Amino acid sequence: METQNHIVLIANRGEIAVRIARACHALGVGVACVYTAEDAESGHVRVAQELGGSLYRVSSYHDANEIMSVADQAGATAIHPGYGFFAEDFRFARRVTTRDRKMIFIGPSWRVIRDLGDKINTKRLARSIGVPTVPGSDRPIYDEQEAEKVARSLYDFQLQEGVSQPLVLVKASAGGGGMGIEEVYDIDQFRSVYRRVRNYALRQFKDEGVLIEQRICGFNHLEVQIICDRTGKNPVHFGTRNCSIQSVGLQKRIEVAPGFDPSSIDYDFDAEALLKSITEHSLALAREVGYDNVGTWEWIVTREGRPFLMEVNTRIQVENGVSARISRLRGESGVDLISEQIRVGLGEPLGYTQDDVSFEGVGIEYRIIAEDPSHRFTPWVGRIERFSWKEEPWLSVYTHVPTAMTGEPYDIPTEFDPNLALAIVWGKDLSQATQRGKAFLDSLVLEGSNRDGESLKSNVAFLRKNSDRLLRF
Amino acid sequence: MLDISTLLEEIKASPYEEIVIRAPHTGIVTFSDLKPGDRVQGKTGRWKEIPGTRIATLTRERNPKPVEAPLKGELREISSEFEGQFVEAGTQLAVLRHFLSRDEVIDILLRHALHLFPAPERAKYYFVPQIDTKVKVSGCQSVTVQQGMELLIMSRMKRETPVYYTGPGGIIYAVYFKHNENVDAGRPLIGVCSKEQLPVVEELVLRVRTEWKEVF
Amino acid sequence: MDIEKRAQQLTERLRYIRDIFAGRHAGVIAQLNARLDDFFQNLAEGHLAGSDPIIELGLLEEQFLAAERRLDAELTPMEKVRIVRHPQRICLRDILENVYDNFTEIGGQEEHSIDPSMVIARATITRRRGKKKYNQLIMVIGQEKGHGEEFRNGGSVKPWGNAKARHFMQVAETENIPIHTYVFTPGSYPIEDYPGAAQQIASNLYEMAGLSVPIVAVISEGGSGGAEAIALADRRLMLSHGYYSVISPEGAAAIQGRLKGQGRATPELIAHCAAQLRMTAADNLSFGYVDRVVQEPYLGARPQHYDFFRTLRQEIIRATDEAVISVRPFSPLRRLTLRRWGREDVNLDEVYLRWNLSDSAREKLVAKRQKKFLRLSRGACIDRRPALNLVRKSLRESWESTSAKLKYVLYTKHQQRLTNFFDESVSLALWLKERLLNPFSSKPLRPRLKPETVRELTTLSDWDESESRKGRWAYVSPRAREDRTVTCPNAATHGCMDLWAPDLYGEFAGVCTSCGHHFPMEYQWVVNNVFDPGSVREFNTEVESDNPLGFEGLSELLEKARQKTHLKSACVTFEAKLEGTKMIVAMLVANFRGGSVGAAEGQKFVEAAALAEKKHYPFLAYVHGTAGIRIQEGTHGVIQMPRCTVAVRRYIEAGGLYMVLYDTNSYAGPVASFLGCSPYQYAMRSSNLGFAGPGVIKETTGLEIPPHYHSAYKALARGHIQGVWDRREARANLQQLLLTAGGRNLYYR
Repeated sequence: METQNHIVLIANRGEIAVRIARACHALGVGVACVYTAEDAESGHVRVAQELGGSLYRVSSYHDANEIMSVADQAGATAIHPGYGFFAEDFRFARRVTTRDRKMIFIGPSWRVIRDLGDKINTKRLARSIGVPTVPGSDRPIYDEQEAEKVARSLYDFQLQEGVSQPLVLVKASAGGGGMGIEEVYDIDQFRSVYRRVRNYALRQFKDEGVLIEQRICGFNHLEVQIICDRTGKNPVHFGTRNCSIQSVGLQKRIEVAPGFDPSSIDYDFDAEALLKSITEHSLALAREVGYDNVGTWEWIVTREGRPFLMEVNTRIQVENGVSARISRLRGESGVDLISEQIRVGLGEPLGYTQDDVSFEGVGIEYRIIAEDPSHRFTPWVGRIERFSWKEEPWLSVYTHVPTAMTGEPYDIPTEFDPNLALAIVWGKDLSQATQRGKAFLDSLVLEGSNRDGESLKSNVAFLRKNSDRLLRF
Repeated sequence: MLDISTLLEEIKASPYEEIVIRAPHTGIVTFSDLKPGDRVQGKTGRWKEIPGTRIATLTRERNPKPVEAPLKGELREISSEFEGQFVEAGTQLAVLRHFLSRDEVIDILLRHALHLFPAPERAKYYFVPQIDTKVKVSGCQSVTVQQGMELLIMSRMKRETPVYYTGPGGIIYAVYFKHNENVDAGRPLIGVCSKEQLPVVEELVLRVRTEWKEVF
Repeated sequence: MDIEKRAQQLTERLRYIRDIFAGRHAGVIAQLNARLDDFFQNLAEGHLAGSDPIIELGLLEEQFLAAERRLDAELTPMEKVRIVRHPQRICLRDILENVYDNFTEIGGQEEHSIDPSMVIARATITRRRGKKKYNQLIMVIGQEKGHGEEFRNGGSVKPWGNAKARHFMQVAETENIPIHTYVFTPGSYPIEDYPGAAQQIASNLYEMAGLSVPIVAVISEGGSGGAEAIALADRRLMLSHGYYSVISPEGAAAIQGRLKGQGRATPELIAHCAAQLRMTAADNLSFGYVDRVVQEPYLGARPQHYDFFRTLRQEIIRATDEAVISVRPFSPLRRLTLRRWGREDVNLDEVYLRWNLSDSAREKLVAKRQKKFLRLSRGACIDRRPALNLVRKSLRESWESTSAKLKYVLYTKHQQRLTNFFDESVSLALWLKERLLNPFSSKPLRPRLKPETVRELTTLSDWDESESRKGRWAYVSPRAREDRTVTCPNAATHGCMDLWAPDLYGEFAGVCTSCGHHFPMEYQWVVNNVFDPGSVREFNTEVESDNPLGFEGLSELLEKARQKTHLKSACVTFEAKLEGTKMIVAMLVANFRGGSVGAAEGQKFVEAAALAEKKHYPFLAYVHGTAGIRIQEGTHGVIQMPRCTVAVRRYIEAGGLYMVLYDTNSYAGPVASFLGCSPYQYAMRSSNLGFAGPGVIKETTGLEIPPHYHSAYKALARGHIQGVWDRREARANLQQLLLTAGGRNLYYR
């Protein structure tokens, strides 16, 4: 196998670092890990040691220079960014692959990351091949009259579509992360909203361009998992996921695969055909851009069954495991998307086609987090003293918290995302999966306290309560 | 009442602190021509514009960067076994014995005299914008605080929450947190001096200024 | 006179000689000393060899005079520098008392003045014709060294002192009386507090370039920028023992010897530099930068030299008369007067000429002064343009000028009216149409959208993506090819991470993404990324920097700079377009001898301004960086300050839009003249600008300068510039400026 002389540097921490390290080990690829002083107790450090990988203490996970410096020292031939940090940073990928000592970036080529990292560009690419996108402008608008014209026709368009309360969104085209976005309820108020956003954009981003889009309400958030090798020509999908259960801050909490379940739920539309249509569209766009690694196509689907492509995440996602769980490769279970990603990332051909991929049952992934759902999901900080659950054949839990493995208490570091564990439950159909999910949550022991004597707060109750409304609108 | 004399005597008994100089990041280290026992300078100049003595050079990605002495003092140890080697972030490069200066002694004593407002949680802290501007323009002692005033922003896990001041009213005499650095829960953020305390604090400063002899 | 007193004066004279020669001519001095000692001894002991002590003393005085005459002939430039700096040197107060008939100080009294180093006075000169007396009024402006009075600050004028001078120049203009300026300054006090050393000198130069009353300047100590602040005159006289230079010999030696920090130049090097700089009156007369030299007594004028004050009075009256006559309508009478005036033996106190001017004469005076300065220093650079080309060029330019004028008159006026009418009628028609088609404005409940509207909302639109560059720049620095990282200077305070050079120089335009610090970029960056692609057309490439003084080492340095930059001077002038708007750009390139300005750079700048005026284009001075005037060119360099300012003033008065953009570091002469006088000055972030760098300030004033003293934001806060630009938005900002400051036609206001 081509992969054997490689050393992969894992430029990440926590759960994903553990899974990458294990996947590399299974593939016979060497690993090097980084950690910060605050994170020395993290599970990924332990796993790296167990697997015989080299370990380096760095000043920050966010500093690309540290990663490059360590990579050279470790003799790494490839860098896996995991998710977060550098995963969708095309400059990082560009640097890895174009510096004097070149390495492989385990992810799509930097140009693909750049082109799909820009929402306007993605929307235009999608429109150029007829993939449905949110109605509205696909380029920054600088002219007030043109903006109003678009907004008015968008308003009328929604009326024509039967939307009773049409809404128009005005977004700063250079913005992101929810900044510089306003809704227009009354189209006669459009101008004042437009001017406010434009002036904000001018102040904040020095670019007064705005996007005008339909505001879509009451939708489900679906994803299509795609993988392709370095040829960029033979993308294969690993099904769909539904990620509609989210926190207040629109952070995902429960993901379910597949994306809809027409066998047990009645939808107002042909869900089977819809899932087929969004996977076909996603594959078409992947072929169009020559996508050459794993990626997720994010869609929103309205109650009426209209899909719109939102964006493409050019990375392995947290929830990849739930898709893998229901996938069968030539009838075999045990698909590992991270392992597949590393394999194709290092240049191996994919080795199978869409016909070799089939699906069975329903998977649910819970994100277990120390947070307080009743207070806007505020993170809880303190020490975890007990963390255990009942092992089941249909359950896999991924965690970097050492308490789960050794029983040692663990102080939650304040620097990073507050994820504690991912639990994936499988059932032959939705009702069995839901039932098993609840059983798992009920068996879960997660206790701790902090210096104020406050006991650990987690989202377990929230997860359990929401288990009943999976895959519904 | 504060017993300044006893405190001063205590400090006089061990008039220095040991400072470990660590590699700020990974890289290949080369040491300057220094040996244990050598004296080094911290930042000097009226605006602290002159950098301290270079103790080592850390080269990462073809970018040599100086590692300078943070304070003046005497070198106790140099990890010269790392010369020309790759070091990890945080590796000990040298140990410095720093003799307390008058201002530092004053700072230590002030922590006894002032009302210290502690960090509620381990997080990064910033002044709220309008106070931040005031501090930057005319120094922290221009800011008067009172009970319940929105004073700081606590930044933790990508979330920002306002922090309200509790304690006696007065001026902010000292600021103990730095930009972009974590403060552990319970560590002081600011030292507040009320009107009544002002004479005590001034006496303390005066006493140290006259009684404390700086070593070189 | 009392013998004691006269003898005492001789002692003074001897001490003075000793001071001036600082060790040289020790033999002569010892001899004089011995004679003087003998005389004193004899006088004390009462046996003067049987002769009259008065005769003895007279003899001794003769000997002194003879020695002084001999020594005067051997004066070196450095010794002349010591003469003008000597506390016994005549000062402005002496001149006011002895040259003028009456005067009142109006700029303050002694130390009670906004700046005691700048003295302003209203003075009179009384002239007679027959029995009739005429009182002629003058505004006298000059630096006052005050024989070493501490508060005079050695004649080093603070920015507000120069502002005061400018104010009273305007007063003189209102009153239509001539101005006499006296230059007694080692240089300006280089601080940036408002109005700022550089900016105020620039403002003074700009004022004098168009001041419509006669100005006569007398230079004793002409130290660079400080001198220029009051020296842009119709007639420039120079005292024979004075100096007029781009920099003090010590400063030149420090630069020449590449001394940084503690090092001090040797006296030999300083003297050598003084000689090389060609700073004496004779030198400057031969270059044409002064019109006349006023002969001083041997070893320089001191307050007791009453004859000298009479000479000076005659000279200054003659110079004022000449300036006035030259703009009076030509008449036989004038010819006659000119002939008579020219004769040295005419006592000008006994002839009378009115000094106030008619409106037309005032206009002529300004034009004449401007032309005079524009003509200067032409021979001090290499100009390889064939003579025929020059003629053709000037013909073409004059045609362009005429056609542009015609276009403006015919096109803009009528065109504007037509389009106005058209715009209005179209909008009226549209409004009518809407009312007719839609008489009751009510919203339909279920609108039927046209299919193409739906298509517009859901399918790909046309869009020219070149509108957004998104970090793809037309010029990429060669530093972007190095695989290395760079540390931001603000890393310690702002926590910036190291930047990878290809990202920083290639994509980020040299801007730290964390704190916004601007790393210096090559000038090509702005040339290629600010102006429309392919629109840049350079002109006057044949004008090259030269070594007009034969300054040691300069030719080699110039050759090195030529090879390094492939340029022929630090100034590149070109025509370019911005969003289709044509403009003329004069650029100072930091890589060529620090962007210093000499005769060639000045020539190119002047011609660029003239071309912009002829073509009616906006004019941009893009300062990639400049360290100041090229000191090795001496006064050939410093004369570019008034000269280029005159060019700028002519351009602006003709209706032009003159903008300045500072990119990296810009200091000294150019900022204190033709750059600082622009009403629209902008600086890129992280640039520094000012009069003198921190080292020079420390050396000359003893002040410690805080870090970032000269930063663009400080300059903005002090009111020196109009804005700070982000490099990545320079193009948009420049266009915005053209649209708002340039008005509809980008030229005529």
